[in-house]
Amino acid sequence: MNQVIASGQPGKGLGASRTLAPGLPKGEAAAPGSGAAPARRKRRRNDHSAASIGVALLWLGPVLILIFGVVIYPAIALLIASFGTFSITGLYRSFAGFTNYVNLLASPDLGQVMWNTFVWVAAVVILTNLIALGLAQFLSKEFFGRRFVRWAVIIPWAAALVMTSQLFRLMFDYYHGIINQMLLGLHIIAKPIDWLGSSTFIMPTMIAVGIFVTLPFTAYLFVAGLNAIPSDVYEAARIDGATPWQTYRAITLPLLRPAILIAVVLNMIYVFNSFPLIYIMNGSNPGYGNDTMITYMYKVAFQGATHDVGMSAATGIFNVIVILIAVGIYLRFTNWRQGDQES
Amino acid sequence: MKKSLRLGAILATAAIATMALVSCSSGGSSSSSTSGTKSIKVVIAEYSNATKPFWTAFAKKYKATTGITMNLQIISWTDINQASSTMIQTGNLPDILNENSYASYASDGLLYDSSQVLPAATKADIIPAFVQSGTVNGKFYGMPDLSSVRAMFYNKDLFKQAGIAAPPTTWNEFVADAQKIQALGNGNVGYAQPLGPEEAQAEFAIWLFNNGGAFKQGNKWVLNSAANVKTLQFMKDLSTKYHVTQNNPGATNRTDGAFALFGQGKAGMVVGFSPLSGTLDAAKTVNYGIAPMPSGDGKAPQTYGVTDYLMSFKKPGNQEAVKAFYKLYYQPDQINTWIKAENFLPATTSGVKVFQDDPKLANLKVYLDTLPNAHLTPTDDPEWDKVKLALQQTLGLAVAPNGDPQKYLDNLQAQAVAGK
Repeated sequence: MNQVIASGQPGKGLGASRTLAPGLPKGEAAAPGSGAAPARRKRRRNDHSAASIGVALLWLGPVLILIFGVVIYPAIALLIASFGTFSITGLYRSFAGFTNYVNLLASPDLGQVMWNTFVWVAAVVILTNLIALGLAQFLSKEFFGRRFVRWAVIIPWAAALVMTSQLFRLMFDYYHGIINQMLLGLHIIAKPIDWLGSSTFIMPTMIAVGIFVTLPFTAYLFVAGLNAIPSDVYEAARIDGATPWQTYRAITLPLLRPAILIAVVLNMIYVFNSFPLIYIMNGSNPGYGNDTMITYMYKVAFQGATHDVGMSAATGIFNVIVILIAVGIYLRFTNWRQGDQES
Repeated sequence: MKKSLRLGAILATAAIATMALVSCSSGGSSSSSTSGTKSIKVVIAEYSNATKPFWTAFAKKYKATTGITMNLQIISWTDINQASSTMIQTGNLPDILNENSYASYASDGLLYDSSQVLPAATKADIIPAFVQSGTVNGKFYGMPDLSSVRAMFYNKDLFKQAGIAAPPTTWNEFVADAQKIQALGNGNVGYAQPLGPEEAQAEFAIWLFNNGGAFKQGNKWVLNSAANVKTLQFMKDLSTKYHVTQNNPGATNRTDGAFALFGQGKAGMVVGFSPLSGTLDAAKTVNYGIAPMPSGDGKAPQTYGVTDYLMSFKKPGNQEAVKAFYKLYYQPDQINTWIKAENFLPATTSGVKVFQDDPKLANLKVYLDTLPNAHLTPTDDPEWDKVKLALQQTLGLAVAPNGDPQKYLDNLQAQAVAGK
């Protein structure tokens, strides 16, 4: 199929138009007084546009189908579902108006779940970015075994999140977990800590694991950002006699700003939507006391006594709005347009 | 202007193309003739590693006898509820579904009842208690695939070390024995109590049946009856007052929590069922015995039975295929082969006989004798599906140190009554 597009006449249109365009005026100038030129030019352009819809569709088709099928259609289905009443079996019953939204907002668990979500996202994103800044400095320096360390850092990101979460769940287990065994063996604690079952420890534990899996991506984003800073800026600073701390504050951080901005926004969305980690590590706790909006949404649909697809869909829409607002506030706060122009 | 028009045209064309594609694909799957389907979709829950081999062989046999293809989907217990819910929501119904509840599907009018798909002789063979638990409003929708009965497992070595001669028969003895085992130290716990979201309702059920409690009395929910409240209070006291359980029972699941502790020989007692015997016998790490449940009200010990269901969905043209499925499944050489492989108990009267006569299954005798009289949860009430989920998700909160059994059950009762 590729071959057909490449060799067929229409195939030339889209790909060639860009490169041809600058050369066009020259060619016309070389044919003075030719009355046919404007007509030919016009016809050619017509050919061009006639071909390009078909060609564009051919090229864009798969992507458009993907976007419609994977993004737009599910989003519409979610929106429709959020306005429906469903039986516990999942059977659509009737139009519900805003009942599902009202039920969600009236749910006694919502406050705690939203607070958990806030703590979870804020702690993981802020701590990850702080640690990643330091780690990126380290990774961008030349040292023996750097390649090995770089690979090691990327592994938590490459491993499937379900697997990582399950592994940490085992490691944090009250009776058989290696972490309690180690702390007990070193006499740091006198009796095991209930990392996953106690309401004091579960959130910090999940945040620690959350940082562990978010760190690689963030650190690499910063490494890329650091590599993009030209070395002559540092040279100038050194000649001016800047201390390392001054250099870092006045040069590295401001020039790293676009990378930090992207890291924070992407991480906010990514951490907010993190499902397997919380679902698995919080898997044996009753109630919704340690859930975030995402796991709450799942439990509302399939595990809680509500077992209500409609209310869960409403929660999904609510989640999208919440994260959009959060990202919007952040971008507003950091004045991202200005930052864009500066860089 | 022109540019945006063109873009609009592209988008519209793409949208139409996509919709056409989608409608094509959905048209294709539902276009099977109404005169008789060529294939059926069978969704089975994964009990163990033995599940897939049996059903794969079954599908072959089904194809050979009926000429109908059986599309088999095996889904883990943790995901099957979500999967079936999604299938129904999207109108992509299975023909046969294996689940632990059916009443909501029946009350939504999605299921065939036995008069439509089950041979009369087969229905007569199913254990009467299961026919009853599979019946809603006089119609039998929930065909049992297999069953199990719970009993008290105890670690003989730990009992010996603690100087306990025989397993406890009353709750007082139970607490005293558990305290002795707990006192052994070395990480041993008296009783492994799983009240996390996995199976909290089952743990609650067996203790309340042994204290004269019930979920329903006649047609009425009695979730907050005095006997039930007393039972839940006792269950809470085990960890908060007597300190004879593992750490944080409300956040301990059955399989990876309580069973794991017992399997490592660290727990004196645990409520188990025949598949646990299978695991323990294979591992040979624990010297265990099986005893009836201790009684809270001085009466004879009661047993708690569980059955899962094979329900069939009404779809145009699939009635004969579904009928053939049941006919084949309830053949003694099919159903009993599977149940043996899974270490569960029979669902049919003839199956009980076969199991009783099999010398290799002598260790199941303790369960088989009690099976016909076992108490079941009220699976025949659609509201139970919600009560069950509530118990699974939140019972653990009621037995936490700050939990309040009375208030918890009052709330649950109010919800169940309001749901009607």
